[in-house]
Amino acid sequence: MMNKIENPYRPIRAEITEVISETPTIKTIRVEPKEPIIFETGQFIELTIPGIGEAPFTPSSRPAIKDIMEITVMSVGRVTEKVHELKKGDIVGVRGPFGKGYPIDKFKGKEILVVGGGCGFAPLRSLMYEFFDRSGEFKKLFFRGGCKTPQELLYRGEIADWAKRKDLDIKLTVDKGDSEWKENVGVVTTILDGVEMDYESGIAIVCGPPIMMKFSIKKLLDMGFKEENIYLSMEKNMSCGIGKCGHCRLGIYYVCKDGPVFSYDKIKDFSNIWD
Amino acid sequence: MQYISSSNFAKFLENLKEDYEIYVPVKKDDQYFYKKYLDFTDDVVIGEIRAFEPLKSFFFRAREIVAENFKSDIPHTSQKPYCIVGVKACDLKGLKIHDYVFKNHNFQDPFYINRRKDNLIISADCTTAIDTCFCLALNVKPYPLENFDINLSAVGKDFIVEVGSPKGKRLVEKYSSLFGEVKDKFLSQRNEQREKVTKVVEKNIKENKIPPQDSFKGIIEREYESDIWADEADKCVECGACNTICPTCHCFLLYDQKSKNQMARLRIWDSCMIKDFAQVAGGANPRPELWMRLRNRFEKKFDFFPKVADIYACTGCGRCISACPAKIDIRKVLKRLVHDE
Repeated sequence: MMNKIENPYRPIRAEITEVISETPTIKTIRVEPKEPIIFETGQFIELTIPGIGEAPFTPSSRPAIKDIMEITVMSVGRVTEKVHELKKGDIVGVRGPFGKGYPIDKFKGKEILVVGGGCGFAPLRSLMYEFFDRSGEFKKLFFRGGCKTPQELLYRGEIADWAKRKDLDIKLTVDKGDSEWKENVGVVTTILDGVEMDYESGIAIVCGPPIMMKFSIKKLLDMGFKEENIYLSMEKNMSCGIGKCGHCRLGIYYVCKDGPVFSYDKIKDFSNIWD
Repeated sequence: MQYISSSNFAKFLENLKEDYEIYVPVKKDDQYFYKKYLDFTDDVVIGEIRAFEPLKSFFFRAREIVAENFKSDIPHTSQKPYCIVGVKACDLKGLKIHDYVFKNHNFQDPFYINRRKDNLIISADCTTAIDTCFCLALNVKPYPLENFDINLSAVGKDFIVEVGSPKGKRLVEKYSSLFGEVKDKFLSQRNEQREKVTKVVEKNIKENKIPPQDSFKGIIEREYESDIWADEADKCVECGACNTICPTCHCFLLYDQKSKNQMARLRIWDSCMIKDFAQVAGGANPRPELWMRLRNRFEKKFDFFPKVADIYACTGCGRCISACPAKIDIRKVLKRLVHDE
């Protein structure tokens, strides 16, 4: 009695084609799935380490590239520790994509401010490449990124290239600088002032640790951004990816199917959204 | 409506054996358990009250393999569809909620759907109630009105038969020689019985001062910061029995194992009362305290489900009351929430 519905719990076999060390605790793995996995920027996938388990990640790579996916992973738990042990040629599994990504079409003709913190650079990298690929569609693009120390700055080489782009205004900050750091020192909210755009009509996209998102939103609201124009990527315990297992409920939503990207107005009234 | 004698009903089940794997409630001590039907033995009890185990066990398995290696097929056992006999109205409501979650939602669950598809539900009226029964508070009658293929109302040793689906109708027609006309006296007997059981449940509700469903609206939001949660969770031992025994609880854990080939992915029933249920790998936990998890359990049933599916995810079956080693009583919690006491 077979059924035509696909098995949503089955991972697709994927081969590791490269492992890039980004920082002492963060690596980017490049995977080649045996069946194409086409994602929209901001959607997430479940990465399986065979026999160990799976964990959710938003791909950090360009959505326009269909056959290869890059996933940037910080070693924090049981699965991610194993991800860090992966070598070229190893086999992993990928399920997805799941949920709703950034509603890029809604951003057309608008000024966009992207605010990233630490690990939050990973999904934002994918988003930035989507913006670059569709550069003419948006009025103006700002990137404001922060992390703890210069050593923890992700994608340093690429970001140096971004800084040369004419369609992007970029500023970076670190909580604690060193002798070589030439840019701002301070938390990310300290470089939001002076972004030359119309806040009332502008789009703000925030991704980073909860505490960073919390304070960035406060700042953005003070600046005049509208709640419905502030987009967040929420991190909850997404497991099944299809709104059934119950682990990632946030108010009336499941982050896995209704998110992970939400506009702030949709979730602001739920309690403890940052916990 | 039709009529079937118990001996003919046994013949009916015998015929159904060919196409179905049949389970019937049997009485053991004071409890009722589903058991694979072989013969209409003396311990088979169609009426009385709900079974000990929730109906979900048949369709949403407590533990099953959902993926093996990277194979695209859906692991399954090639068994006949289930025919579950003697299902009570409270469990039919549970099934409705599980259908919403696994079947009628944006995404479908092939494992649930495969088991639900082609199955046969032969429900039955409750002919008695125990003191934890409070279905009426949730607008569930102690006799099925919907979501069954065939319903049985026990009258003496025999049954009044009501058809509730085209599938049920086809079967009754196919074996029409086993069924007969219902005599008026049996119909009035059934109605008297239904009234009698309703009164018992009403008495339970009155004695325990259980508020009606109409008063649940907004109670979770209103009492979100209340001390009731910490007070009620005080004795909770985090065993998860309330979740496992609940006919509406659907949360599950996916976990992977090494198998001889490579990997097997299993899913098992999970419990939102367990500390790490919502915890993320980095350690952040939206509900680090037990009382927050108790509140979450009630929020899911009495706030989330009515908002997303227009249904309270409680059937009034009372199983969680009996299962809880800390004697946390859902009726009492609801009463306290509604009356803010």
